[in-house]
Amino acid sequence: MSQQAVVELKHVTKKIRSKTIIDNISFNVFSGEVFGFLGPNGAGKTTTIRMIVGLMKVSSGDIIVNGKSVKNDFEGAVQHVGAIVENPEMYKFMSGYKNLIHYSRMYKGISKEKIDEVVKLVGLEKRINDKVKTYSLGMRQRLGIAQSLLHDPKVLILDEPTNGLDPAGIREIRDYIRRLARERDMAVIVSSHLLSEMEMMCDRIGIIQNGKLKDVQLIEDFVGNQSHVYKIEVSNAVEIADRLRQAFPAFEIRLVQEDLLINCKKEDIPAIIKWCVEEGLSVFGAAKAAKSLEDRFLEVTSEQKEEPVNV
Amino acid sequence: MFNLMRNEWMKLFSRAATYVMIGAIVLAAIAATVIMLFINSLGSDQNLTWQEQLQADNERLEQMIETGEAGFMGDDPAERIAINEYALENDIAPNSMNISGTFWSYLENSTFLLSLIGLFAIIVASGIVASEFSWGTIKLLMIRPIARWKILLSKFITVGAFGLFLVVITAIISVILGLIFFDPGSPVRLVFEDGQVVEKSMAAYVVRLYIFNSLDVIMLTTMAFMISAVFRNSSLAIGISLFLLFVGGTATGFIAAYYDWAKFSLFANTNLSQYEMNMPIVEGMNMQFSIIMLVIYFAVFMTLAFTVFTKRDIAS
Repeated sequence: MSQQAVVELKHVTKKIRSKTIIDNISFNVFSGEVFGFLGPNGAGKTTTIRMIVGLMKVSSGDIIVNGKSVKNDFEGAVQHVGAIVENPEMYKFMSGYKNLIHYSRMYKGISKEKIDEVVKLVGLEKRINDKVKTYSLGMRQRLGIAQSLLHDPKVLILDEPTNGLDPAGIREIRDYIRRLARERDMAVIVSSHLLSEMEMMCDRIGIIQNGKLKDVQLIEDFVGNQSHVYKIEVSNAVEIADRLRQAFPAFEIRLVQEDLLINCKKEDIPAIIKWCVEEGLSVFGAAKAAKSLEDRFLEVTSEQKEEPVNV
Repeated sequence: MFNLMRNEWMKLFSRAATYVMIGAIVLAAIAATVIMLFINSLGSDQNLTWQEQLQADNERLEQMIETGEAGFMGDDPAERIAINEYALENDIAPNSMNISGTFWSYLENSTFLLSLIGLFAIIVASGIVASEFSWGTIKLLMIRPIARWKILLSKFITVGAFGLFLVVITAIISVILGLIFFDPGSPVRLVFEDGQVVEKSMAAYVVRLYIFNSLDVIMLTTMAFMISAVFRNSSLAIGISLFLLFVGGTATGFIAAYYDWAKFSLFANTNLSQYEMNMPIVEGMNMQFSIIMLVIYFAVFMTLAFTVFTKRDIAS
């Protein structure tokens, strides 16, 4: 792959007093991809994000952004990062435009035109001169994104970007994020505890639980990897399920409503269909049943819960 | 750095509270004039010229010397007589003897406005860091490619600039009102020094008076800023600082009457005019000692604020 890692986490650990909040996390994020950071509330998503943007210091390990260490060269590293940490809290007593002016003064060479361009991108032209306290949550979220894009960052970090938005707002934010990654070749890190959201937004997903990184996978792999589950629609499914199990003892066969769910490889499907036809059953369809992200997530996180018992 | 200060200034002047403070200062300066005019009008039935008053004063002082009475406030009656005679000979009307009040005595009596400015400076200092935390805006502020100490310094300078801004407003209003409503008075201040009467500038005296009177509020504002940066809580900073502003001096006075170590406390040293009047709060203190103590206190406040603010994680 010619892709270049823009964000590298190297054995990042965070301890607060003697408690380990983040335990030896390592992963890379490449430009042009949307990386989903997934985990239940309190798993350590926000802490990790706060460390990437330098709000919290790492206890050990290091975070490299665009080749510069957040630990040793904070200003150099953070220069390429745009972020919203938790809620996009702005100065409510000022207009959206003044808020943007405020942040733009903290970088070198951001022109008025650039501010206008960003305002247009997030579609706030009409309300930008109103005070932020009159904004809806969705508008504040958009202003938050505008603020994070002022300096054309290489990395965009959005913590729970769809929190509290209505479905239209969620869709809008999702489209922005995908567009930014694709058109501007940005690396986007998105955190969420909403699995369905991640499935639609992200290219890759990292699962974090109890401060440990459980798994990093491409979204396609994550949702449907390993042995696939195929759904076969046949007549009299209820009656033939047991006979099918006897005929193919190697596969796990489940009956869900009127359909058979068979855990097997692709090559095995013709044999199963042939058997059904020979038995005189009508086969209406056979298709790969993608496991939902939710199933996989619970699978991954519950696997790990049992771990301490083995030790 | 300049841009950071522009940001702080913009935030400060986007809030209604700031304008309330400016309005209060303007009103207070006007009220000071009205009150002083009122007080002066009460004594105006006493129709003596300043020369007659000085002569009467001298007669009283001579009596005091004869009876051996101690001079009021440690003043030597003989020195007062010398000053009064010098004034009569050279035709210099003392500002304190002008019945309708002079511009200079008005300025001299307006130092209390500094406390009000101090109060507002403390409020601003208490909020300027802590509010960013309570608003949640600190997160978006600190993810910029700017070292934390620069952000903190810009905030401290902004507090100072705001205090100075209020002082300038007050000064302008006071000077204008003073010139309109009071006699110009004489710009000469007579002091008894090294066995003879010398003429000193009244303006320099007033400026020094104002500087001395602002030391305690400057120190308390710095302390409020420190508490704001360390504890990230504006109510705590306002509470402690204002409490000390109002009772600190008095309490130190009481303690100093019994214990010598009171001289190391902040308030024993903020009042530098104690050396002008030759009455240090604790025996053996001098101007140099107090200035060193003030510098130490200032350095401690600043060090605390900057180390804690730059080191501590921002987690809510």
